Amino acid sequence: MIEIKDLVLFCRALREHGLSVTPAEVVVATTVLQVIDTSDRDEVFLSLRSVLTTSVDDFPTFEELFDKFWSASPRKLVEREPVVSTRRRNVAPPRGLAFFLENWSPSQVTDSKPINVPGADSAESRAHKDFSEFSHKELEEISRLARRIVRRIARQPSRRWQPTRRGHRVNLRRSLRLSLKTGGELIDLAYKRRRPKRTKLVVICDVSGSMDMYSRLLLQFVYGLQNSFAKVESFVFATALSRITGELKNKTYQRALDRLSSSVEGWSGGTRIGASLATFNDQWLRRIDKRTVVIVLSDGWDTGESEQLAAALSLLKARAGRLIWLNPLLGSSTYQPLTRGMQAALPFINVFAPAHDLASLRALEPHLVL
Amino acid sequence: MLAQQVYIADAAIATAVYLSMALGKPLLIEGPAGVGKTEIAKALANALGTKLIRLQCYEGLDATTALYEWNYPKQLLHLKLEESSSASEAEKEAVIFGEAFLLKRPLLQAITERERAPVLLIDEIDRSDEEFEAFLLEVLSDFQVTIPEIGTIKATHKPHVVLTSNRSRDLSDALRRRCLYHWIDYPSLDKEIEIVRAKVPAIDDVLSQRLTEVIQSTRTMGLSKIPGVAETLDWANALVALRATELNDEVISETTGCFLKDETDVATFKEQFAAD
Repeated sequence: MIEIKDLVLFCRALREHGLSVTPAEVVVATTVLQVIDTSDRDEVFLSLRSVLTTSVDDFPTFEELFDKFWSASPRKLVEREPVVSTRRRNVAPPRGLAFFLENWSPSQVTDSKPINVPGADSAESRAHKDFSEFSHKELEEISRLARRIVRRIARQPSRRWQPTRRGHRVNLRRSLRLSLKTGGELIDLAYKRRRPKRTKLVVICDVSGSMDMYSRLLLQFVYGLQNSFAKVESFVFATALSRITGELKNKTYQRALDRLSSSVEGWSGGTRIGASLATFNDQWLRRIDKRTVVIVLSDGWDTGESEQLAAALSLLKARAGRLIWLNPLLGSSTYQPLTRGMQAALPFINVFAPAHDLASLRALEPHLVL
Repeated sequence: MLAQQVYIADAAIATAVYLSMALGKPLLIEGPAGVGKTEIAKALANALGTKLIRLQCYEGLDATTALYEWNYPKQLLHLKLEESSSASEAEKEAVIFGEAFLLKRPLLQAITERERAPVLLIDEIDRSDEEFEAFLLEVLSDFQVTIPEIGTIKATHKPHVVLTSNRSRDLSDALRRRCLYHWIDYPSLDKEIEIVRAKVPAIDDVLSQRLTEVIQSTRTMGLSKIPGVAETLDWANALVALRATELNDEVISETTGCFLKDETDVATFKEQFAAD
């Protein structure tokens, strides 16, 4: 026989191992034990499994704990070391961002000379000027571009309808209601139209040393996106991931940068894309769905394991509507994505595009529309 | 019970179905495409001798296609015909928003079924969007529907609800928690042979064994569209129709279309099959 007390302890053990088992499930589980043959181990196992798990991913944990539960006293299970939930794991804050951001201030960039980077072929038009040569004023243009892209995304029609004053389709239900006022004569027509699609955007920007000359401008772009579109989440990473959505939501870019430098701690020369994306998956994957476009901005120089990067990207791709990788180096005609990180990433990317100048960002527009 | 319906059930499926009926909770079935998720609902309806009401989900599915809609042409016609009558506006309204003008969509049908509790199959719930999922939660929690013009309609018999999902999108935790969960994987070799023999009785024993072995081996080839049990059965039927008695290279290459639905998969299959 199974005592209720044991069952409660078992449920608590499951919860500590990350399963979504609330008191409501415990109640159902108790009811279940009343309608099945509790002396049959398999029957108890299958029954409790169908009540207490919500996904096939929970099965191994359940099986393991159930075996222990059945063989040993369940009390032992709960007295294990406090289990840290994997989803909310806090990553130790690395240092160095403040320094990085200080070196970024616009005044220094304004009079910066063109730097010889493997980014773009030198062209006259501003659209082809490499980001590394941009002046403060021209940054405005990037923000404008971001806003335009966002407007375009927000205008895409979905398959759902909403009532409107004017439109192309008659809203029959409403019109009929209205017609009753006039004794059944259809005089005033009500209309409906397609509701705009609810595309969400997640931007994960590489700010490691190798991205220095681009990340400032790309962040400006991200800032533009963030502030003209409600559903944008932004993250930066070098060796660790930080969420900067809150920091970027500011009236001016300068103030956003100030807040970034004071609140985010993290930065160093290296890049660990795989580890950073794995952290992202741990904490944020639940928020990604088929309406989400995920943009990774990085040059793909990874000092970590490329297998980890591949695993993280495949998870991300399975959930996201589209996975876009923007690589500033791709702007160069001689660049080949041969780095190990980039090679590992390529199979999972829907769109692989350059992001070294305005024209390349403009070309991005159609890809962001789901 | 399910065995009589030509459904080869294992203990896990039987337990899940039993519990869902005993507790009156919806049953969420997940698994790869073509492993017989939908079949469970059909077999269940047959076994219970009740109606199967099916709601196929798709993106943008909303209350007017899932729950109810007013029959506008009929309403308009009625108003036209009644134009000369002396009925007051309120009376007219009461008539055209009566049950005779209501088009019952699957969810409402399931709730208002008079005779006995039907089986409500909500197929491929992962294809619908979050809005519909939220709406569905409401219906599934108390099995009642409020239509502004009529009032609240409560279920006469609580339907047996089966939801299926291919995991193309993650369902919300709220929905998952409200359901019993069951995962169906590709069947084992023995079980699949049993299924083939039960569903395609005309097939001979050696052939069914051989073809199931081939199918099972393709599942580990890393194809992009892995053949499900549905494909195995299609193939078995095709072989019976072609009166094939053995599975040689020629027969296989003529009929790969039954279980491989992708050009590159066919190439991969041929390569690996020849290597074996």
